[in-house]
Amino acid sequence: MTLSPLLIIMIGVIGLLGAGFYGLLVSRNLIKIVVALQVLVKAALVGLIAAGNYNGQINLAQSLALTVIIADTIVAVMGIALGVQIRRHMGTLDVRELSKLKG
Amino acid sequence: MLKLFLLLTIGLPWLGAACIWLIGDRRPRLLHAFAVAFSAAAGLSALAMLPYASEEIAISLPLGGIFGNFSLVADGLGILIAAIASVIGCLAIIFATDYMKHAHQLARFYALVLFFIGTMSGLGLSGSLLLTFFLWEITAFCSYALISFHNDDPKAVAGGIKALIMTQVGGVGLLAGALLAYAYLGDYAISTFLAQAGTLPPGVLAVIGFSFLLAAAAKSAQVPLHSWLPDAMEAPTPVTALIHAATMVNAGVYLLARFYPAFAEIPGWSTTVMIVGALTALLAGLMAVAAGDIKRVLAYSTISQLGYMVYAVGCGAIFASQFHLLSHAIFKALLFLAAGAIITAIDTRDLQKMGGLGKKMPFVRLAFIIGSLGLVGLPIANGFFSKELILEKGLESGPLALYLVMLAGAGITALYTLRLNWLIFAGEPRGPEPQHDGLPAMRVSLGILALGTLTSWLLAGGLGNMFAGTLPFHHIEAETTLTVAEHIFSAPATWVAMAVILLSGALWFGRAKLAPLGRIFEPILVHDFGFEWLQTQISRLVRGSAALLQHTQTGQVNWNVAGILLGLLAVLILLARGISS
Amino acid sequence: MSQIPVFLWLILLPLLASPVIYLLGRLFRKPGLARLPYLAAVLVLAISLVPFVLAARALGAGETLHYELGSISLHMDGLGLLLAAVALGLGGLVALYSGPYLSKEDGQEKFYAMLVLMVSMIVGLGCATDLFNLWIWFEAMAVTSYLLVAFYRTQAASLEAGFKYLVQSAAGSVLVVVGIAIIFGATGTLDLAGIRAAAPAPILIAAGALFVVGFGVKSALVPMHTWLPDAHSQAPSGISAMLSGVVIEAGLVALLRSLGALFAVSASWPALLIGFGALNMLLGNLMALQQKQVKRLLAFSSVAHMGYMLLGLGIAFYSGQIAGAQGSMFHLFNHGLMKGLAFLSAGTLLYTLYIARSHHGPLMIDDLAGAATRYPLAALTFSMAVLALGGLPPLAGFMSKWQIFVAGFQTHNIWLETMVIFGALNSVLSLVYYAPLVNAMYRLEPSARVREGGRAPWVMSIPLVILGLAIVVLGVWPSLMNWLTEPAARSLLAVLAGQ
Repeated sequence: MTLSPLLIIMIGVIGLLGAGFYGLLVSRNLIKIVVALQVLVKAALVGLIAAGNYNGQINLAQSLALTVIIADTIVAVMGIALGVQIRRHMGTLDVRELSKLKG
Repeated sequence: MLKLFLLLTIGLPWLGAACIWLIGDRRPRLLHAFAVAFSAAAGLSALAMLPYASEEIAISLPLGGIFGNFSLVADGLGILIAAIASVIGCLAIIFATDYMKHAHQLARFYALVLFFIGTMSGLGLSGSLLLTFFLWEITAFCSYALISFHNDDPKAVAGGIKALIMTQVGGVGLLAGALLAYAYLGDYAISTFLAQAGTLPPGVLAVIGFSFLLAAAAKSAQVPLHSWLPDAMEAPTPVTALIHAATMVNAGVYLLARFYPAFAEIPGWSTTVMIVGALTALLAGLMAVAAGDIKRVLAYSTISQLGYMVYAVGCGAIFASQFHLLSHAIFKALLFLAAGAIITAIDTRDLQKMGGLGKKMPFVRLAFIIGSLGLVGLPIANGFFSKELILEKGLESGPLALYLVMLAGAGITALYTLRLNWLIFAGEPRGPEPQHDGLPAMRVSLGILALGTLTSWLLAGGLGNMFAGTLPFHHIEAETTLTVAEHIFSAPATWVAMAVILLSGALWFGRAKLAPLGRIFEPILVHDFGFEWLQTQISRLVRGSAALLQHTQTGQVNWNVAGILLGLLAVLILLARGISS
Repeated sequence: MSQIPVFLWLILLPLLASPVIYLLGRLFRKPGLARLPYLAAVLVLAISLVPFVLAARALGAGETLHYELGSISLHMDGLGLLLAAVALGLGGLVALYSGPYLSKEDGQEKFYAMLVLMVSMIVGLGCATDLFNLWIWFEAMAVTSYLLVAFYRTQAASLEAGFKYLVQSAAGSVLVVVGIAIIFGATGTLDLAGIRAAAPAPILIAAGALFVVGFGVKSALVPMHTWLPDAHSQAPSGISAMLSGVVIEAGLVALLRSLGALFAVSASWPALLIGFGALNMLLGNLMALQQKQVKRLLAFSSVAHMGYMLLGLGIAFYSGQIAGAQGSMFHLFNHGLMKGLAFLSAGTLLYTLYIARSHHGPLMIDDLAGAATRYPLAALTFSMAVLALGGLPPLAGFMSKWQIFVAGFQTHNIWLETMVIFGALNSVLSLVYYAPLVNAMYRLEPSARVREGGRAPWVMSIPLVILGLAIVVLGVWPSLMNWLTEPAARSLLAVLAGQ
């Protein structure tokens, strides 16, 4: 079995997803969590573009990707904004200390 | 006319409940008056239905689609239940006007009692499986809310929730049966079910039959689902008399009697019903001998008497079981209300603090003794006729072993009733001086019920006639009261039972010699034969696993993300298995 | 763009009003005008009822409600109408309720702008016809809800809940996009009907799994539910009601739309839905059993109730019969009413006992003691709400559960019947934690907090009375909602049947 470009891209997508989830699972810093979320989104973007390339609708795929980027930027901004408030009111960015609500 | 009375019987108490809730606690006298007025009117309209009894659907309210019709049928069984609920309900409320005189939150009390009365009447009169289940659940709710009426008392709260959960677990049986019936017949009408039960696949019918038995056992506090009833004694006494003696606990027996024609042919069903009834009659009777709280003795006695009714249904003696239901409702309400009068007079339920009360409370003593006559089943009281009828049918059509159990049960009934009377009224006072001999409103209720206990057996002929005419599936033959009485007096079973009762009465007087025996058995009896332990274990298991599960909610954001991956993995595995198969 | 169809105003009105509301709040800062955003939000949501009624009528008359603008296409069917009804109804009541509730807070204009926007996004989500649009509405709804959950931005607990919600929800959302990419690559289309018509391929199953998990985060499928108890308990009570009554259901609708398109690719969907249903019921109830905080308890109860909806949908997916779907839709509607009422009633107590005294502590179960003596209405409606959630008649929850259960038995399938019994036993289990709440409120001896509590503002009583009446009316007359639930179930089944 030869490595077709599509397969390579799929492996890349899965790799990015893995990296992102790894980051989400082990990061203790709130900023790093947001960055890991961004890595996840990049995986999805690569996937979208690859899909468009595969079925010949690359224009549509690009516009979809652009929309995802916009939506995702808003989420990232909000995540960081929450981080700022958390830092201000709780004095920490360590997500392990963000566990008062449990049980 | 019938439609009007039907609606009034169910609707008046509900309307009264709403009015009373809206009036609120600020005007207690108005509340008393409203409660008595509404319940009395409901009682009268229930009695007014008697001449109109009919098997036809009287009122049908289409809910549409999968909910079918809510229908009401005023047949013999239904009117009996409705009449008991609203008449005894009215007497309990009259009693309560004195009993609850200084209580707080009266509006909630009366509203719930009235809500219950209307619902219970409706349950009897319902002609649709869905409506039956609907009202069944409401009675469970009312019972729960009234048991824990004194919410500040943790025991009352615990008792209420226990009753709710146990009857609801049984309710799942009724739910399953009703759903199965609808899924196969496409109709909720009870008459359709009775007519077409034979066309159902035998396995399905058997599941329905045993599911209904589960529901009935939970509601009528049959072994092993009985332990909620003694704990329900935390309710105000008028409530106990009404719900936990005269009406709601009968719903299980009513359910079995109502559906008996459909289930009689299921292999093993009748025998199981008989065994449940007999076992309950015996075990609960024994526990009543050991109980030390006046209301708990009566509670166990109620369970035991319900066992008689269930046993009767198992024997196919529908009329006998319902006749005993009527007798029991009257004499047990009397006993509970008299006990309530005693409790208010000396402010304790502990039998060890009573004794010698008869001199100061002659009226209540008389009432209590008349009730006891009914409970033991001595001639002239209604309990005699109905119980002998059951025993006779049992000897005729049930296994001999179970008949002997029931006979022993009759003896034990005599024993604990004698003990109860003795501890309350005989000997020297061991506790506080009684404050009164029944307040005026209490006396009204007690007097009427005592009269009922002595005379209600005269209704045997009329009741049988009504059953025979309006229950086409039950094949009941009408007999006049005179024939029934003649029949009972000439049956040998009656005299055997009388002998057993006298013998066990004698046991009480030889109690000094039996004391060592008592010491051996007392722990078992007080601890409910271990059923209580079993329930505690189940509840502990649930609580324990919930506490363990709590650790999964760590509150860590990393862990939350792991939940997503875990879910994804599980979904992929499940779907991959779907492909390969 | 010849003419805007009437149903579109359902989306446009709140959408356009949202920035106006925000600006009103920013521009008019005089004390006398501080209530302007509040009044505007209530007004907009009330006016939106007009297009709703017109759209419902048109749909009832058999018209197709369709609108296309470029690549955006909107189609309102029964399911969309149901979601719009819940979002609009509950949204309006919540807006009305929040006026006094938030009167002491900063940034109210943001709250109302976001609330109105969220309603618009949810209505839009119900009308989406292609996967990508579905995702956009979904994401927009999520963004508005992050802001609303973390509304108390000086409270540590509120910030914590907001952040955890954001992370989990965003991660789930990415999975949805990956799923969309797979489908786009494999079928070349994003149109839901087009996907349904495309040939089934095994790779599409992977996309289905991603949708289940991605949308499942929002609809709180176990084990993706862990954000829910935090967010629901920390948000302002009106938002708790919206999250529990509409937002998680919107996630469910998105899940159904996407799974409907993929219905043919796997035979395991019914088992999957029912499996999640059972898990949700059991875990939600057991967790709720251990809670000491009222709102957290209610949050776990939402997890359990999602289980009932999934059970009904699984039955419908299995049998193709309308009953299960209709039962689920009815339960979705009722859950909006019941949980909305529960959160708003609890919120009234929380407000009078804590917030009005400038204290942001959680409302504990012990605080409820004796509440009925001072707050008879809130205590009554809260009791009704939790008893309805527990499935006691004559309240709405009984009827919708019954409808789901009947559907299960009508399949004559022993496994589904067992699951129904399991669901019924779970209802009994849930009474173990609902009943003590009622007991506590009707105690004579008030808790220290109740003794010191202030008066409840009368405006907050209006939603309580409306929702309370609705619960009783639907409890005795369930078919009153057939006009809404039946088309919703039909449009769902039509997708499954490939029409």
